[in-house]
Amino acid sequence: MNVISPSAAPDTLGRTESAVCQKMLDALAEAYPEIVGAVVSTADGFEIAARLSPGLSAATLSAMTSSQLALSEAMSAETGVGRCINVVIEADRGKLVMVDIPNRARKRLLTVLCNNSVSLGALLWPVRRCAAQIGERLDTSLG
Amino acid sequence: MSRKEYKLLFAGSMGAGKTTAIACVSEIPPVSTDVANTDMAGYAKATTTTALDYGEVTLASGDKLRLYGTPGQSRFDFMWKILGGGALGAVILVDNSRPDPLADLEEYLRSFAEIVRGNRAVIGIGRTETHPEPTLDAFHDLLERLQIQAPLLSVDVRRRDDVLLLLDVLFHQIETHMPADISDGPTESLA
Repeated sequence: MNVISPSAAPDTLGRTESAVCQKMLDALAEAYPEIVGAVVSTADGFEIAARLSPGLSAATLSAMTSSQLALSEAMSAETGVGRCINVVIEADRGKLVMVDIPNRARKRLLTVLCNNSVSLGALLWPVRRCAAQIGERLDTSLG
Repeated sequence: MSRKEYKLLFAGSMGAGKTTAIACVSEIPPVSTDVANTDMAGYAKATTTTALDYGEVTLASGDKLRLYGTPGQSRFDFMWKILGGGALGAVILVDNSRPDPLADLEEYLRSFAEIVRGNRAVIGIGRTETHPEPTLDAFHDLLERLQIQAPLLSVDVRRRDDVLLLLDVLFHQIETHMPADISDGPTESLA
């Protein structure tokens, strides 16, 4: 797997935030070999950090995650089921999980791509924990 | 006579007023997918659409228009393809206060070429009171150069009447150019 260097979001905090997120994505992928890719993006779909196989575009996945979560949030609101916690895509050869990164200042999104050797339940836990950890780090390092 | 439903698309650059236009005419509470905008260089506004807008309008005939708004930025062009599927026509909005409104229009005409070439599009130019250049003539020249026939109107999408006028002109344009009466057109693909 290649580590693709992130291009900073058009946001003044870009550099520090990218470095913090990159570290957390690398740690997640190293701890869970089933996880084959991960991206952190802004709510409006700009990449902040990414760890992806060659051939996958962090910019495209960021934009798509932004659309997926925005639409899922609109659907949650429309049906009154409450706040959207995550969006899951289960496919023939893999799974995608998209979650909000909880933090005080800015809405950020985490997308994780994994193969099918892991169950959804076993995937959700580390993904949510990673999102929570990124959120905490963003709160402390960026204020 | 059974009532029909038609899918129409709102396209155009970020900040051109697609979300506003749909909210302005929709009879149902519009669905919007606005999120915080971080691209202040692209357009200095608080929020931006990243998936779609959705609203509905009923015509005097009882037919219903389903209005779909697209995200403006080209990084969301996958949504343009998804939302464009089965659309009968498109409203393309241009923001005349942007650096190059003619280039903006050309990009959207190209991206929605199938609809545009089928004479199923109308173009609304916004913010012309504060930004009179380029003139409507310049836009007409562009359309002529590209050999595209599409009605062109100066509009304020915050005004319900302006948006309804765009829809009216679009419908007239479609009716004039469709070989068969549109009320006989297929409806499954418009769902």
